[in-house]
Amino acid sequence: MLQDSGFTDVVTSEAIDTFGGANGEGKARTFEVYGYAFMARRPA
Amino acid sequence: MTVTRDLLVDLDALREQVRVKYREVAVDPHASFHFHTGRVLARRLGYDADAVGALPDRAVESFAGVGNPFSLRPLAPGERVVDVGSGAGFDSFIAGGQVGPGGRVIGVDMTAEMLAKSHQTAEELRLAHVGFREGFAESLPVEDAWADVVISNGVINLCADKQAVFAEIFRVLRPGGRVQFADIANGRPIPAEALRDIDLWTG
Repeated sequence: MLQDSGFTDVVTSEAIDTFGGANGEGKARTFEVYGYAFMARRPA
Repeated sequence: MTVTRDLLVDLDALREQVRVKYREVAVDPHASFHFHTGRVLARRLGYDADAVGALPDRAVESFAGVGNPFSLRPLAPGERVVDVGSGAGFDSFIAGGQVGPGGRVIGVDMTAEMLAKSHQTAEELRLAHVGFREGFAESLPVEDAWADVVISNGVINLCADKQAVFAEIFRVLRPGGRVQFADIANGRPIPAEALRDIDLWTG
């Protein structure tokens, strides 16, 4: 979706266990939901 | 990895649901949510302990991000930053520390209770270069090509029209500017009926 919007040089972090130990952990595990950091650039 | 598709739910109805949820996070941050909040969450996500420790509880207790937008690259002194869905201002204040008084940070949020907390903290900390505006991610109250960097944390997944959000981020970035955001993505497909259940978007 970032590239569809015109961004380039997309970088994605490793998965982060955002919901581990939280009330939503079970649902997150069911659908393998994790947090990620993303970085992309608007072309010059 | 798949990301939830656009416009599966009514945009205004989802906004109201999100507003209700995050109003609760603003006024009762120690209540039980399906996600972590506050200093425990900031530590879990790897934020700089000294930077977080310097912030008052008001700025941290309602933090409900899902990652660390600064983990892939720290901001540089003097940069101009827009924080999409700034909540009580946690990431905006972290950004303000990184860009310094020669930079500028504009946090944008749609929830009045969150904005009130962020305004109070900016005033308490006397941070003239960190400010907050009411607005939506799909129509940011920021002029074209103003920002060097756009940050966001756990917000875009709560927007029905993600393509519109990314188009707006693109608009406010200067050519060569970058977006650094954290969000969630699912590794297993979510059933179509669940994607259309607005109650599941916020919890």
